[in-house]
Amino acid sequence: MPGLRAAFARRYQQWLDRRLPPVPSCRLENRRLFIFPSGAGALYGALLVVLWLTATNFENNLVFGLTFLLAGLFVIAIFHTYGNMHGLEIVPLRAGTGFAGQDVDFVLEIRNDGRRPRESIRLSYAGGETREIHLGAGERHRVRLPAPAGQRGWLDPGRLTIASVYPVGLLRVWSHVRLESRALVYPRPVATGPTPHARPAASEAGSASIPGREEFATLESYRPGEPKSRIAWKQHARGLGLHTKHFTDPVDQRRWLDWDDFPGLDTEARLSRLCGAALAADAGSEAYGLRLPGQVIAPGSGRPHRDQVLRALALFGLDGPG
Amino acid sequence: MEPVWQIPRPALFWLLFTEVALAGLHADHLTLWLLGAGALVLGWRVQIYRGVWHYPGPWAKAVLVLMCGGAILASYGRLYGLEPMVALLWSGFILKLLEMQRRRDALILVCLGYFVAVTQCLFSQTPGTALGTLGGVLLVTVVLAALHRRAEAGYWRPVRTAAALLAEAVPLMLILFLVMPRLGSLWTVPQPRQGAIGVSDVLAPGDLSRLGASGEVAFRVKFDGTPPPHNQLYWRGLVLSRFDGRNWSRIEPGLDADAGASRRGGAGPQPWESAVQRLGAPRHYRMILEPSGENWLFALETPVPESPDVTLNDDLTLTRATPVASRWSHSLTSWMDYRAAAGGLGDGRRALETMLPGVANPRTRELAARWRGEVDSDAALVERVLALYNRDYVYSLEAPLLGRDSVDEFLWRTRRGFCEHFAGSFVFIMRAAGVPARVVVGYQGGEYHPDASYLTVHQYDAHAWAEVWLAGRGWVRVDPTAAVAPERIEFSVADLLGGERAFLADSPLSLVRFRGIRWLDRLRLQLDYYDYLWAQWVLGYEYRQERLLTGWLGAWDPWRLGFFILGAGALALLPVLFGQLRLARRPPRPPLERLFERYCRQLARRGVTRAPGEAPRALAERVARERPALGTDAAAISALLEEGLYGGGEPDLADLRQRIRRLG
Repeated sequence: MPGLRAAFARRYQQWLDRRLPPVPSCRLENRRLFIFPSGAGALYGALLVVLWLTATNFENNLVFGLTFLLAGLFVIAIFHTYGNMHGLEIVPLRAGTGFAGQDVDFVLEIRNDGRRPRESIRLSYAGGETREIHLGAGERHRVRLPAPAGQRGWLDPGRLTIASVYPVGLLRVWSHVRLESRALVYPRPVATGPTPHARPAASEAGSASIPGREEFATLESYRPGEPKSRIAWKQHARGLGLHTKHFTDPVDQRRWLDWDDFPGLDTEARLSRLCGAALAADAGSEAYGLRLPGQVIAPGSGRPHRDQVLRALALFGLDGPG
Repeated sequence: MEPVWQIPRPALFWLLFTEVALAGLHADHLTLWLLGAGALVLGWRVQIYRGVWHYPGPWAKAVLVLMCGGAILASYGRLYGLEPMVALLWSGFILKLLEMQRRRDALILVCLGYFVAVTQCLFSQTPGTALGTLGGVLLVTVVLAALHRRAEAGYWRPVRTAAALLAEAVPLMLILFLVMPRLGSLWTVPQPRQGAIGVSDVLAPGDLSRLGASGEVAFRVKFDGTPPPHNQLYWRGLVLSRFDGRNWSRIEPGLDADAGASRRGGAGPQPWESAVQRLGAPRHYRMILEPSGENWLFALETPVPESPDVTLNDDLTLTRATPVASRWSHSLTSWMDYRAAAGGLGDGRRALETMLPGVANPRTRELAARWRGEVDSDAALVERVLALYNRDYVYSLEAPLLGRDSVDEFLWRTRRGFCEHFAGSFVFIMRAAGVPARVVVGYQGGEYHPDASYLTVHQYDAHAWAEVWLAGRGWVRVDPTAAVAPERIEFSVADLLGGERAFLADSPLSLVRFRGIRWLDRLRLQLDYYDYLWAQWVLGYEYRQERLLTGWLGAWDPWRLGFFILGAGALALLPVLFGQLRLARRPPRPPLERLFERYCRQLARRGVTRAPGEAPRALAERVARERPALGTDAAAISALLEEGLYGGGEPDLADLRQRIRRLG
């Protein structure tokens, strides 16, 4: 059964791909819209059958009349449900960025150039949260729609599902729109602790230090929670009170994030750690550079630099347009 | 990834409103217990919404369900039956409120609501009920619309949506109503217990006078051709041959060994019918019966039914397979001139029709025996008794109560009575004299609608008369009331007894009371006419359907019906479709944009096609390069367009249009 279902889902996707190929933006015309009774519609259908049986068995023309009225309501609802969606235009504006395993926002503009207000339009990407919007006549609405990002690289959010059951919920009209939009997904950041620094570096490095364990720096009064191994027992024995020893490591102020810092790890693990390190370095507002096989980004800082570094990490080793 | 669902405030408001309204519609069939439980649940739901109380736990729910079930069982005494079933549905409708945590629960509630609203029509089918039920259906639709709309849209938008949708559905309803075939009952269903009144199969003194207090309609009749005169309109219902000293009733089945098998409507005659001669011209007519809750029917003498639901019994009465629970109509033919059992009466039959058990009413028995000796024929005895009635008896609805020897008391002491007193005492005298006789109950007369030529028979037209078996003539109708008060038979009981207090006592607002006031009487007849049309065209539509559609379509077959539904349905849906298309259309574009498009078209004709996104000025520059002849004109037009489109200026549209036209 699951195999069958999967096969069916695959065939359906193939059919959808043929019928609705990716487009830069789209207007929801007849070809793109599907409509079918919803779960509530099925329940309503059962109600109509029960009512018809009641009318037939009691030979009651008033019950017949009301049954037919409700059947007519269903037919009329087809037009209204369809009309609520027909003619909407969807334009992808931009895509945000995100890290693998998180959601990435896509910003879409939904345009209602028609004269009717559109109610309760629900938008979602597969696996992402649903957003509901309402548009007045002639209104345009920007909606930020999250799509889950599985892995680094370019994220194609897949088909956008746009659906509505307005006004009576008996029918659902929907479209699966494939838009030409993509988002850049950075590797999943993994914190590396204080190490990813760096190499004690050559030449023109300015000298600085970070908390570490190499060189003794100061003796400070003990604060609860500090490791016992750091307590300066000699001073304590001399009756000078409880103190702890603090050490520092010397670092090159311009850090290098280097592929070779993580020997023995596979590509993705390295990229994740480099990403975590880049974020940490960015937060510290220090200059940092990136060395990848075949690619070097000179040290720098600030938002554009960060984006450049993360982009390089995101697309490392991937084919296709960078 | 659905957020936690909370019912929109307007939806909850309309839902609670609908619950109350439907309880009001069904108030007649629901007990106070259930209404109380409903109020409790409503209050609870409001508190849940306000966040004060919680949803009930499984135990509280179980207790509520048991309480409602118990209340229904205790109040109705059964679960099978229409009233308890509707009460059960209504309870479910109410209780589901406390379980409404998802939209799906609310949708189940909506479906229940539709069903509860519609069941109202099973109890009553007046235009008022239809309107009330329509209101109920509208309210439930409002709830449905409110459930699918955000709360900020307010309380009235869902009402407008629901009303618009239903209004658009009405043409479809009419088409389906006209065309959809009615299959007839698929299985037997419980019928509502009627509080309806009417002629019953047991007749005691005073029973029919009680019907005189009611102005309700018993049935209506539409004759083919001219209707018979008033004094011939004896609507025979039941033959009561059994007397127990006080009550007249029917002979139990099986007691009569000579009984013939009933004849089903549409079937051929039974053997016993050879003893029935139908003479003269047949009269064909159609009867529209109000619900009586009984299965006996009324007809002019010697009827032959057409509907297979109706059977003709060997006493020439009609029976329907099931009680008449809602308005119902059928066609039949009567031969009003007839001889029944003229050839002779079987011994068993004669014994049954002369039986007088006990020794009550000794004075009457003695008189009958004496008179039997004094006259030379049964017919003369009949004349003599009728003459007695004519001499010193009073016809009145307000008859005194009678004791054990009811016939003696009536004949010799009170001398005042309604038709059942006269018919009963007459048959008693005949039987005491050894003449076969029996009581017949039904209705007599009716009121013609002056314009529409149909007859309305009211409950106060209920009547009892006698049939006497005379040698050589068979069963002969004798109406002792005609001897006492001939006006009753010639005109109407309303004319004769309209002044009595007991007349229409149960119908204080009946317009029949105001027959003297001319315009009120017109109004009454007009209302009755609308009621008649309602019964004919709505409630009894299945009897007209075939003829009507055959007239329209030329024939009655599934193909034609299917095409009619499709064609008429498409016609009915076209306005809806156009309305939707009009709404989806873009609003008209600003005139400058249209002029720009036209300008581009003109240039394209001259060989310069605008590149996507090319600004007017850039376009003009390209024109100057590629078609120098147009350069100056294009530059001017482009400048004007750019000024209007982006510069905030308002160029002279007529001038611009001129310039663009000259380009071509």
